Amino acid sequence: MKPVAFEYERPRTIDAALEHLATAPNAKILAGGQTLGPMLNLRLVQPDLLIDITRIPELVSVSDEGDALKIGACVTHASIEDARVEDHANGYLRRVASGIAYRAVRTRGTLGGSLSHADPAADWLSALLVLKAELEITGLHGSRRVGLKKFVRGAMETDLSPEELLIAVHVPRSEKTARHGYYKICRKTGEFADAIGAVSFNPGSGGFCLVAAGGSEQPVTFESPENLFSQGDPLDPDSFDMPMAMDALREAGMEADDYELQVRAVAMSRAMQDAMSP
Amino acid sequence: MTRIALTVNGTKVTREVTPRTNLADFLREELLLTGTHIGCEHGICGACTVVVDDEIARSCITYAVTCDGAEVRTIENFDEDALMAKLRQAFSEEHALQCGYCTPGMLVAARDLIRRGEARNEESIRIGMSGNLCRCTGYMGIVSAIAKVARAHNEKAEPDATTRTLGPAPGPDAPDGFATESMASAGSAKPVKAKAPAVTPVLDSQPSANVQTGEMTQEGKFTKLTQTITVNHPREDVWRYMADIEKVATCMPGVVLDGPPQEGHIDGRMLVKLGPISADLAGEADVARFEDEWRGIIEGKGRDTRSASLASGRVEYQLAEAEDGAATQMAVSIAYSLAGPLAQFSRGAIVRDLVSRLAGAFAQNLEARLSGRESDAAPAAALDAGSLVFSVLWDRIKAFFGKLLGRGSD
Repeated sequence: MKPVAFEYERPRTIDAALEHLATAPNAKILAGGQTLGPMLNLRLVQPDLLIDITRIPELVSVSDEGDALKIGACVTHASIEDARVEDHANGYLRRVASGIAYRAVRTRGTLGGSLSHADPAADWLSALLVLKAELEITGLHGSRRVGLKKFVRGAMETDLSPEELLIAVHVPRSEKTARHGYYKICRKTGEFADAIGAVSFNPGSGGFCLVAAGGSEQPVTFESPENLFSQGDPLDPDSFDMPMAMDALREAGMEADDYELQVRAVAMSRAMQDAMSP
Repeated sequence: MTRIALTVNGTKVTREVTPRTNLADFLREELLLTGTHIGCEHGICGACTVVVDDEIARSCITYAVTCDGAEVRTIENFDEDALMAKLRQAFSEEHALQCGYCTPGMLVAARDLIRRGEARNEESIRIGMSGNLCRCTGYMGIVSAIAKVARAHNEKAEPDATTRTLGPAPGPDAPDGFATESMASAGSAKPVKAKAPAVTPVLDSQPSANVQTGEMTQEGKFTKLTQTITVNHPREDVWRYMADIEKVATCMPGVVLDGPPQEGHIDGRMLVKLGPISADLAGEADVARFEDEWRGIIEGKGRDTRSASLASGRVEYQLAEAEDGAATQMAVSIAYSLAGPLAQFSRGAIVRDLVSRLAGAFAQNLEARLSGRESDAAPAAALDAGSLVFSVLWDRIKAFFGKLLGRGSD
């Protein structure tokens, strides 16, 4: 239950962090360490070097870019939960943040750490997919932005190359009338979810996006999922058609048995109810 | 060793630590503050909860070196704290402890919950305290003790220090102790290992349409699963291609053979990467083919030296004609088992996802090679695949990952 011996570096700038990444073989980035820590202690991960990026000022900053909020990768879930970061998504970000694991995890766990680990059972992945978040990634050869959907390639697998660093998440500002919903099903509070449903409904632009995730494979995203409602009216969550949703999940390639599909459909349905509840 | 300077329970402390020393061990063994208890040691049980810069944190998965410049408070530091005094009293009155092992963590977490105004009713207390486990199962008493104090606690939560970092404490403004200077010299000057060719099994974010994964079942210590891969080439061609182990190996991401097969026996290794976990499996496999049945079997075992884990497995494939002979359907059944430290953790479904993606990559590479489109074959560049068809690799992989991944919660 003790990690292997590793070296530790604490760069103060993004460039210095990238230098370490480029020169040190078998290095791992350490942010809050709430996922990496257990893996280190269990020796599932045995790095030669940990690069602590929590003291790089840019990574713990938040800036308003007008149509989006740029949240530094090392901002903790608790900072969002406590509204120390503006919630420009009508309270949705706070709700999601406050349901992540436990308070003692949220105070250290970070937004960027969660996304770059890309555990399909993690909250931010599904929650931010419906908001069309974009990730800002930087490397020694320049920076790039990539949509979250494209970023996630599979369970625990992302578009991030070993020499790159996720530095910020751009979350588009929600319309005032937008309704977002989130629901996860887990056997014990705070545990990895068995199923997650997330939804974003934007009456102004007509944008409507529904995401379902399980504990194992990358989330399935439905754009314009009106056909999953028997009356074609998403404003009436009761008309959500469960059997049709299960079929849609199956068709989308979700490899799960009937029970698992049903739990995911239930999570979607409850996310709809969450979004539409006053 | 790295030198760190931090404040613990109001006292400035400077010590040399190894980077891997967690905060809990540092407090207990270096400072003899044994009030902080260690339970699960991987962030599940909450027994080690302490306060770092005014926020609760799990000291077993927080490394002491990352607390350089921070202010840490342990259970020993709350004697004069009015809210904690009420909690102690209530815990006693409500019989909120039996063996007492979880109590320091419970008290620290409960004080934080009340302080934040989140102990509104029984439900919110139970949710708020769900990260702290009591093995005596004395939750009734614990919850009622917290409720009792919360009811009488009318003060508003202490205002948050708005200057605090938005990231994990202590953040960019904290002084560096002496960390950086000694870190370099700490250098046990480890030989720099060649960077392992990271193997990324996935070529495409979408599950490959020509691979279907069946259900996973458990038989004794073996996990079994089946997969059907469809390749757009006649059965004869696929069968012939599959006979060349070295070629087939190049279709499998992450596999490297030690040399050509000797009478159906191969030695090789496979590197698999899943999130931050990577496993380098060295092993051997035996290959058998049954010409008249269009069937092949690969049986192998491997070992990951770093984790001292063993994997063994068996892959059987059977080729059938599809689409009037224009295509081939390959039915693959895989059975694998894992022993050693890695075997304790399992999130089988993630393995299934990985396996299915590996199969997708394999099918895509096989298809490309059969069509003579070398260039389209996997950006396998990094991974000079090794033989073992699916066998060795697969099993291992799966095996591996299967178990590796799952870490219970949080």
